[in-house]
Amino acid sequence: MRQTEDVQRAVQAVAVAVTPVEYGQRGYHLLVELENGRVRDFARIMHDQGYFIGFVTAVHVAPAIEVRYQFAHFDRQSRVMGFTTVDAAGAVPTIADIFPGANWHERETRDFYGVVFTGHPNLEPLILPEEDVDLKPLLKSEKNLKDAAAVRWPEPKVAEDTAAAPAAKE
Amino acid sequence: MSEAQAPLHHRFHLNMGPQHPSTHGVLRVILEMDGEYVLNPQPVLGYGHRMQEKMAEARAWPGFYPNTARMDYAGALHYNHGYCALIERLAGIEVPPRAEYIRVITSELNRIASHLLWYGALLLDLGAFTPILYTFDDREQILDILEDITGSRLTYCYFRAGGVSRDIDDKFVERTRAFITRLRSRFPMLEKLVNGNVIFLKRVEGVGIIDKDMCQRYGATGPVARGAGVPYDVRRAEPYSVYPEFDFEIPVGENGDSLDRFLVRFKEMEQSLRIIEQALDRLPDGPVMAKVPKKLKLSPGDVSFAVEAARGELTYYLISDGTEVPYRMRIRVPSYSNLSVLPELCHGMLLSDLVAAMGSLDLVIPEIDR
Repeated sequence: MRQTEDVQRAVQAVAVAVTPVEYGQRGYHLLVELENGRVRDFARIMHDQGYFIGFVTAVHVAPAIEVRYQFAHFDRQSRVMGFTTVDAAGAVPTIADIFPGANWHERETRDFYGVVFTGHPNLEPLILPEEDVDLKPLLKSEKNLKDAAAVRWPEPKVAEDTAAAPAAKE
Repeated sequence: MSEAQAPLHHRFHLNMGPQHPSTHGVLRVILEMDGEYVLNPQPVLGYGHRMQEKMAEARAWPGFYPNTARMDYAGALHYNHGYCALIERLAGIEVPPRAEYIRVITSELNRIASHLLWYGALLLDLGAFTPILYTFDDREQILDILEDITGSRLTYCYFRAGGVSRDIDDKFVERTRAFITRLRSRFPMLEKLVNGNVIFLKRVEGVGIIDKDMCQRYGATGPVARGAGVPYDVRRAEPYSVYPEFDFEIPVGENGDSLDRFLVRFKEMEQSLRIIEQALDRLPDGPVMAKVPKKLKLSPGDVSFAVEAARGELTYYLISDGTEVPYRMRIRVPSYSNLSVLPELCHGMLLSDLVAAMGSLDLVIPEIDR
């Protein structure tokens, strides 16, 4: 656990919020919310701390698509989940030069969601054929699109009750 | 000859695949060549892509069980395992101990089957025809055992969230024990036939060196990372199921070349046998399925589950919106990251060495094109 605290301190400087999560329930240790422009700083810290890249992906939620990054470690039990939202142009900086393994993951995310990875060395279609480049097959229809809050892990029950109680009195 | 010296007329493009015997699936590699030397091999993916992630997001979660086996056809039970364990983690389902033991036994049998398939196929790529006949013979025994219990020979759909679909019987135990004895008696023969063969050693020794730094940058896991001397095995690193109860070693290599990856997988088969043996000895009685409601809504939030598949770390990552249908399903497959090292790994290599190096990565293309 101490090692997770170390990395928590390190990413604190570049993150909006760092939340330790219950591994037994969610399968990873640290949730890191990032500003769009700090993704590369985060990746550099992950690299310097010896983490390897798990995957990069996106999830289509309202109001903006979220890009998610998972890292894990060869020598210690620590799995870190970072996420950010795309900017107004639907873009996020690439981390493919820091983790070359992210290259294909980013190209795939570009194929499936249309997310543009700024600075990517070769943002050509990876999976989709050239004629279907703008298919974006994993985008949700308007009917199915959910708010980012609807897919968040709910706050612990106790906290919810105490927060709700005073509001009800008013 | 260095890149700078090469006269331009020696440069050409060579197309390998998508139907090439040594890609073992529909993978295409565009090779930029300089005479016999590979400058830049660029894999072209997507020929067999089925959009499994979209399928997972388009149906209630139990409907995805059969799909899991259709990604990695050579190690399908690990994919079953990861998916069921993911749902169990999110829904807080306790699995009966007997079911966990059965999962471990069948998963490890599947791992051996996968390694035997790879063993034969790699040597076939290198021009040795005989070994695949022996390893297929052994692998066939596993397929028969698993067919009896799961109903399929390859694309198993055996595990369920909460346990396994049917119990094993005495016949299964007996046959599995007989198989352990049989395979152990075959190892010395394979070692004599292949592992010490000078022609084979010349093809793989020092070829395709991957170090720890490269594994970290590319996310290469499984025998590829272990061949590079990284003792990373999800069964140890993030223990799941009942793996902590068994005594087994994690074989690692020293040089990170194709030979080390070869030896790591070869030694892993013995370790899998050890796990199966211990699990059979201690197999508990009891139910093989927990009580799980037929219709189960997944609570909102995200959940991740990693297992050690035959080729490395397999991670399912699910984001739920509180309904029965997963909102987002991401499947991180090991071969995808393992193959992505290819351009860096094979730069400046002889074409025939590329075949050896690629074979030592143990790629399953439908897993990459999931």
